[in-house]
Amino acid sequence: MDKRALRGLRRAVGRHNALTEPADLLLYSYDSSTARGMPGAVVLPASTEEVAAVVKVCAQHGIPFVARGAGTNLSGGSAPIRGGVVIALSRMNRVLDLDLPNQRAVVEAGVVNLDLQNILAPHGLQFCPDPASQKASTIGGNVAENAGGPHCLKYGVTVNHVLGLTVVLPSGDIRRFGSKAEDAPGYDLVGLFVGSEGTFGVTTEMVLRLRPLPESTQIVVAFFDTLEAAGGAVSRIIAAGMVPAALEIMDKATIEAVEASFPSGLPTDVEAVLLIEVEGLEGALDGQAERCASICRELEARSAEIGRTPEERERLWSARRSAFGATARLSPAMLVTDATVPRTRLPEVLRQIQQIERKHGLRIAKIFHAGDGNLHSNILFDRDDPDGLRRAEAAATEIFHVAAGVEGTITGEHGVGAEKPRFMSLIYSREDIEAQRKVQRVFDPAGIANPGKVLPEPEAAAEGTA
Amino acid sequence: MTALASALRDLEAIVGEENFLTATQTVSGYQIDGQRPVAVAMPGSAEEVARLLRTASEQGLSVLLRGSGTHLYLGAPPTPIGMVLSFARMNRLVEYDAEDLTITAEAGTTLGALQKTVGEHGQILPLDPPGPDSATLGGIAATNLSGTMRMRYGSPRDLVIGLRVALADGTVVKTGGKTVKNVAGYELNKLFVSSLGTLGAICALTMRLTAQPEAKQIVLASLPPPTAAEAVRHLLSSRLDIATLEVANSAACRRIARALPVTLGPDRYLMFAGLMGDRESLPRQESEVLHLLGPGAARIQGEDADSAWAFLRNAAFPAAPGSVVARLSVPLSKTLEAADAVSSWDGWWAVARAGSGFLHAGPVDSGDLADVNQRLLHLRQTAQELGGFAVLEAGPTELKREFPIWGENVHDLDLMQKLKETFDPTGVLGCGRFLQGL
Repeated sequence: MDKRALRGLRRAVGRHNALTEPADLLLYSYDSSTARGMPGAVVLPASTEEVAAVVKVCAQHGIPFVARGAGTNLSGGSAPIRGGVVIALSRMNRVLDLDLPNQRAVVEAGVVNLDLQNILAPHGLQFCPDPASQKASTIGGNVAENAGGPHCLKYGVTVNHVLGLTVVLPSGDIRRFGSKAEDAPGYDLVGLFVGSEGTFGVTTEMVLRLRPLPESTQIVVAFFDTLEAAGGAVSRIIAAGMVPAALEIMDKATIEAVEASFPSGLPTDVEAVLLIEVEGLEGALDGQAERCASICRELEARSAEIGRTPEERERLWSARRSAFGATARLSPAMLVTDATVPRTRLPEVLRQIQQIERKHGLRIAKIFHAGDGNLHSNILFDRDDPDGLRRAEAAATEIFHVAAGVEGTITGEHGVGAEKPRFMSLIYSREDIEAQRKVQRVFDPAGIANPGKVLPEPEAAAEGTA
Repeated sequence: MTALASALRDLEAIVGEENFLTATQTVSGYQIDGQRPVAVAMPGSAEEVARLLRTASEQGLSVLLRGSGTHLYLGAPPTPIGMVLSFARMNRLVEYDAEDLTITAEAGTTLGALQKTVGEHGQILPLDPPGPDSATLGGIAATNLSGTMRMRYGSPRDLVIGLRVALADGTVVKTGGKTVKNVAGYELNKLFVSSLGTLGAICALTMRLTAQPEAKQIVLASLPPPTAAEAVRHLLSSRLDIATLEVANSAACRRIARALPVTLGPDRYLMFAGLMGDRESLPRQESEVLHLLGPGAARIQGEDADSAWAFLRNAAFPAAPGSVVARLSVPLSKTLEAADAVSSWDGWWAVARAGSGFLHAGPVDSGDLADVNQRLLHLRQTAQELGGFAVLEAGPTELKREFPIWGENVHDLDLMQKLKETFDPTGVLGCGRFLQGL
């Protein structure tokens, strides 16, 4: 890295917060995906102003920068694939304003999602987005990715709960978009920035909408002998006019993984487990839960039980949340996809994924937010097998094609990142992508904010087309 | 042939003679704030819209998009209008599968038609913007208007998951998609929703639906302002999952007072708590809300509840052409303070959307425009002091010329202007009605 640039970075954050030792750089060279890239420096700013000072140095020297929260990104969004500066926001972890009367929180980007939930819960409030990574992932990362989670079915995704942002633009300018009050006149810069995966600048602070916690929740757990039957139950529940807080399916491979690593008492001889969470007023949920259970029984669930105690609920949810980590233990390597399809297309998509599994001789562990058609196909492979990654990637590509073929999308919550730009053309035309590129250039004309992410290179736009 | 005549001929060729109106008498029906368009085009497809926009952009002919015209009172008085582009013919249902809880329809589809379609499957689009159900989906998205259910279901910003947009360069682009969760690429839906037709023309929308509540009713109570504020605080922090929470001052309630089972004094607010849910949970919600609001509270159901809901929904709709309606947006807990400021004036009505931080207000009689102007400035200042802002949503043209309807110090105008230049390089879209001429 250029010496003057490095001096500038050190001045911006202080010598101790600018890392350049190879061992340190290595730690920030990857995230939770397969993407890798060695940064030239890592800085740990403590304030929006320090982030701005860092970005100004980058802008001045034309150095790319990548903002990073906890590194739980599953698409390579926080991996510095073009080198440059990693801006690690872990020190910016303060809740700046817990505004209970207005049901808003203003937090710094490095606040961990679950830490915030734990601060809010005693006040009877929650921040609705609850990605499975919430123990580690930061609100800044949730905002950059427009994260989802199991409860999106009822509450929507991150953008529905973000009302304001403080951002550092790639020029180093600090801007404040939105506020605690809603519907400011003008273009919705907040909405546009959420989900831009760090390519429009660095989000350093956010104004969040909080909601009262539900008074009561109940969980229904049903076991099925086929995945399709579990999917069918989901469709029936929706068609019956119920909107549960969550509808989650895990397949046999995932159940086995969970039981092997974090025993939760799930039977391993079934093909699918469906978790249904209903919430609302105490005493008013029995009917809804019972209706869900009886729909499952009508579809020949082996059993459908209602878990009424908080312990029961926590046990089942922690099984679900641990599924990702548990699956990763099954296999030396795992390729994670999260194609999402209109929920009525789930049964046919599942059949096709099973064919893909057989065709490539791979095991694909499937966990899905079935209520919104978000299908996590975790493709297990052996990194030591020279052909393993290639087959896994071929399978992932085919899954994206399947999703695109039913008017689904290549990613429901993980982001495009470094791994999927070449698949954007499966779902967007050249014109669609150009419109997106035009917006990106408004924010980052020099192309230094997390380059190589989200959009395909202009000349490569046709690659991946079916 | 003049340049204008030649442009008109090109435009007419795109939609056909029968869908291109230029007769003075006909186009007069499309005037806004006294501006009459030169022509009205009624395209039949997104591709036709795109070709119209490209031709207009190349010829420098300004374009104003129109659904059914219900909300065209929003916005600054337009610069001269070259062409009104009407979506009257684009009202087809594109795709609806009830089990997906999403629907795709052309932008000219009316809200009423859509609700009828999804209602047959026990579903609703949870939006009830002010005004008649003849409002179109495209118009509702472009204005981002929401209604009484805002606190529970959000606004078009939250409910639109995909768009087909015709751009000034003649292309038709897709933004978002058909799935509720979709993070592939940038959220351009957000850019076009609420942009008042200044960046492109929304031609079709995919929106989230929800199940119709099994039951709904309204609990209302007449309360002194401090008690009302206290009750709002309690209800908002409770776990009762109220769907609607509105507070109207006495001037606002005069419009419906006769239909209600409570008497309203001059220094009292009428509070409406709208409950929606399943039959199991409604009784408990009802009894707790009644208990909280005290002995004066009453519940209304059936037709009375429907008419109360309609009143709340339409409070923000100008009662007559030229009626003044201001909208204040403030942090949630400040809504009733804003209502107090308005209610201290004789002859000003105010309805607070207390679950979302909005207040709609206006003079019952807007005869003295100089006075109205002064008071609007005062309201804007009040809103700013409370941490929010104020917008003049409707008013007579004269007032809209005088009063900066969107506000004066707009943040980040430079970025907005760059977005505008990117999508509308010749500046023909919107006729200068959005803030600072965007």
